[in-house]
Amino acid sequence: MPSGNDRRSDSGTAGRRGRRRRRDVLKLIGATGVAGLAGCSGNGGNDGGGESSDRSVQGTYVSASSVDAQSLNWLTIADATSGSYVTATLDGAWAIKPEREIFPLWADYSTDDGRVYEIELRENLEWGAGYGQMTAEDWVYMITNVFQARPNWSGYPNADSWFRMNPESSEREPIPVEQTGTRTFEIRLFEVDPSFPFKPVLWRQQCIPKGILEKYVPDQDTEGLQQDEELNTLAYTGNLGPYTYEQWERSARYTVTRNEDYYLKDVEGVPERFTEAPYFDQQVVRVISEESTRLGALESGEVDSAGIPPDKANRFENLPNVNVNVTPQPYARIIVYNMRANGWEPFRSKAVRRALAFAVNKETVVQNILRGYGQVSQTMQPKWSQWYVDSEVEEFGVGDRYGPEATRSRLESALSDTEYAYDGETLVDGSGEQVTLSIYYDSGQPTEGTIAEFIAQEFGENAGIDVQPEAVSSSTFQSNYVQTSAPEGTEPEWTAGVFNGGPRDVATSAEPWDMSINLQFNTYPFTPASSKGFFERQGGINYYGYYPDSDIAELYEQASATTDETRRQELFGRAFGLISEEQPFGFLAMPSSVSGYADNVRGYDEEFNTGWDSQTWYFA
Amino acid sequence: MRWYVVRRVVWAVVATFLILSITWGLLAITPNPAAEQMQFQAAASGGSAEAAEEAFEARRGLDRSPWVRYREYMVNMATLNWGWSQTRSQPVIDAIASALPYTAIYSVPTTILSILVGLSIGLYSATHQYTRTDYAATFFAFFGYAIPNFWFGIILLLVFGVQLGWFPVVFDSDLPFFSLGMARQLVLPVIVLVTGTIAGIMRYSRAEALEYVEAEFVKTAKSKGADGYRILTRHILRPAAVPLMTILVGDILGIFLAASYLVEVVFGIPGLGQLSYNAIIAQDTSLVLGTTLIFTFISVIGNLIQDVAYTVLDPRIDYGDR
Repeated sequence: MPSGNDRRSDSGTAGRRGRRRRRDVLKLIGATGVAGLAGCSGNGGNDGGGESSDRSVQGTYVSASSVDAQSLNWLTIADATSGSYVTATLDGAWAIKPEREIFPLWADYSTDDGRVYEIELRENLEWGAGYGQMTAEDWVYMITNVFQARPNWSGYPNADSWFRMNPESSEREPIPVEQTGTRTFEIRLFEVDPSFPFKPVLWRQQCIPKGILEKYVPDQDTEGLQQDEELNTLAYTGNLGPYTYEQWERSARYTVTRNEDYYLKDVEGVPERFTEAPYFDQQVVRVISEESTRLGALESGEVDSAGIPPDKANRFENLPNVNVNVTPQPYARIIVYNMRANGWEPFRSKAVRRALAFAVNKETVVQNILRGYGQVSQTMQPKWSQWYVDSEVEEFGVGDRYGPEATRSRLESALSDTEYAYDGETLVDGSGEQVTLSIYYDSGQPTEGTIAEFIAQEFGENAGIDVQPEAVSSSTFQSNYVQTSAPEGTEPEWTAGVFNGGPRDVATSAEPWDMSINLQFNTYPFTPASSKGFFERQGGINYYGYYPDSDIAELYEQASATTDETRRQELFGRAFGLISEEQPFGFLAMPSSVSGYADNVRGYDEEFNTGWDSQTWYFA
Repeated sequence: MRWYVVRRVVWAVVATFLILSITWGLLAITPNPAAEQMQFQAAASGGSAEAAEEAFEARRGLDRSPWVRYREYMVNMATLNWGWSQTRSQPVIDAIASALPYTAIYSVPTTILSILVGLSIGLYSATHQYTRTDYAATFFAFFGYAIPNFWFGIILLLVFGVQLGWFPVVFDSDLPFFSLGMARQLVLPVIVLVTGTIAGIMRYSRAEALEYVEAEFVKTAKSKGADGYRILTRHILRPAAVPLMTILVGDILGIFLAASYLVEVVFGIPGLGQLSYNAIIAQDTSLVLGTTLIFTFISVIGNLIQDVAYTVLDPRIDYGDR
């Protein structure tokens, strides 16, 4: 039986032919060349990095969650907690390792050209509740009759991912999916997309037996599907996940027990630690909404894991019974400038935005406000990403590229042909009044409030601009500041949806604003092209009215369409370089995710996407 | 009195209908943050915000006209089919049935203890006015009243749960309802609630009792040789209890409607308070209306009990001619 972390032996369940072809693709997209992406090997983490001999099946692993799930019927949910409840009992197609390698779970894939993907299911996948073997028919039936149904009668939240623009018809059409064998089916994209296996559309995609779905598909019975007892009690999961559903006591706890028949124990080609997985007799999620109680439970040993806010992490690092684990996460904390008609007009100038990037000390944000649990951010990728090319990225707000002199001289020059000018150390407008700008933050986020205060202080000291922090609730921010539209009776030249209602001179939000830090933006380190809509004039998310000087979106598109890995890196590197140069936002930091684990828990690691192999975690 | 009660019940039904209609209307016109968040996520990853909104509406049944939804809901309410909770994936009746016992398990002892302790201290203070114990009781009452339940609960948990380990930090809903383990984990929530509620009862009972301590009929009873206990319970407490009923019903409702949520959040008790609050936050229409109905029902019954108690305690009140 093979051991070690590399599951690419020649004798996997997906077969030699398919495996080799996938390996070729992985080479193309760089999966083999990115070891150390997050600085760790990702094979079991703090048990020493290799296979551990002290793994044994024992105990109940209790984690704390601040919110409860909404449903176990994954077709009808969109929240992360519900997803995590289901994932304990249903694996999905494959996982992505921190180094951006595919780890096949139920299935493996192969492709010759990055356009047509053949998916091959393992042989030993068995549904529960008498639904027999999982076959390609289950998948194709689900995709074509539920995901791609028009109208979306099931309310499946990710249905849109199963449609793509067909260049021949210039229409958004369902992606053709066809069964090619009992355990194989083919997905034929309209255009080449080497990132396709890394998108949520397939990554960890789950499935439902055709026998359940066909009860509701003919009549498009939404209510029946939502209330189906087998779906709501995960009765159909068979051997398809590490655990089996036992009980869900709403608002209190969710309990699953070890699945003795877990399919991974019967397959070759997986690291040895998977063959006896999972290692906990039972897993319990306890819903504890109050933060102090949650942290108290971690401290007293009543739960084995819980998330920790950065300002409390230091206390937990000193506790003997808790280990603090810090992992990178993909969200960038940014200052969004309102370049629309109801914002401060000079934000439209690249030179002004670049000058302001000298005003805020990013290292202070990371070290003092985030207590060291994060990294400085310079562009739309974290520094540890393979797409971040140092030589392309222009750095701001660090070292000698920070400070009052650096900011004022550049801002003065950038505003030279406007009514704004410096009166001593103060930036004043045409009437001699100091420039006053607003910055909005989420009223429910104390750390965010501190960051807003710090930005205000830095802008005051370094740019001579008076900044007024304003707290708003997240829902108010969404409806009054993020949603943009043209005034009633005005027909804008174009519109790109609720978050980009039209040209910036015409479409604005309901309330005026200048800057905000309410939303953190996903940088998508696995599929960087997903952030394209942030940098297009007519992008789906451009509530701030950014008009790029260079065609960043075109670079994204070129990078997305090439299977040449070196070329992809080069194109993405250039795109992220241009983003740092244009400063569409004020990039500040990428906060880390901080979790506390009981000192006898083993398996997690300090890497991005830790938890991809959580079925192999164990008690020492 | 029977006619009076019948009229009260009919009015309660009308009031319930109005409350449900207004609540439904408010929920219908309020934008849902979850829908907006989903739209943003979809658009941020290159998808369509409109498609995300459509999917959300299809799941929630919001793609039908408001009138159809309103009519269907009201018919369901009347036929005791309280609908399906979208955020819990279970029938609303089941959600309420599973939450109610957890609220009862701490609110019943809280109510009994509050009344017993509050009345006892209040009566004691009234009969021992301006003594040191009276001052101590007054201080205790104001302390309990002033200290925020939410904060007090967290402090008790940190001291007695985390530091001393005397009580569990996390509420274990697996324990049998009538067991020592359950009693042990309810000690802190009950203390928090009792300290918050006895203040009102104690201060009111003290003030009401003081009216009667020097009354002529009390002096008469004393002169006829009645002992102190009899004077306190029969001659002071009984007339004082009439106005006190209003306070007691108010306090019980307070526990259900407001305090329950604070305590349930801090101590992680899966009761009615959390259920109702989470339903409102998530705009789970069926569940919001179902829990609203329960609270309305409790208020109506509470007020009925209060009125009936008046007639029993005070024979001077006559409903015959109303």
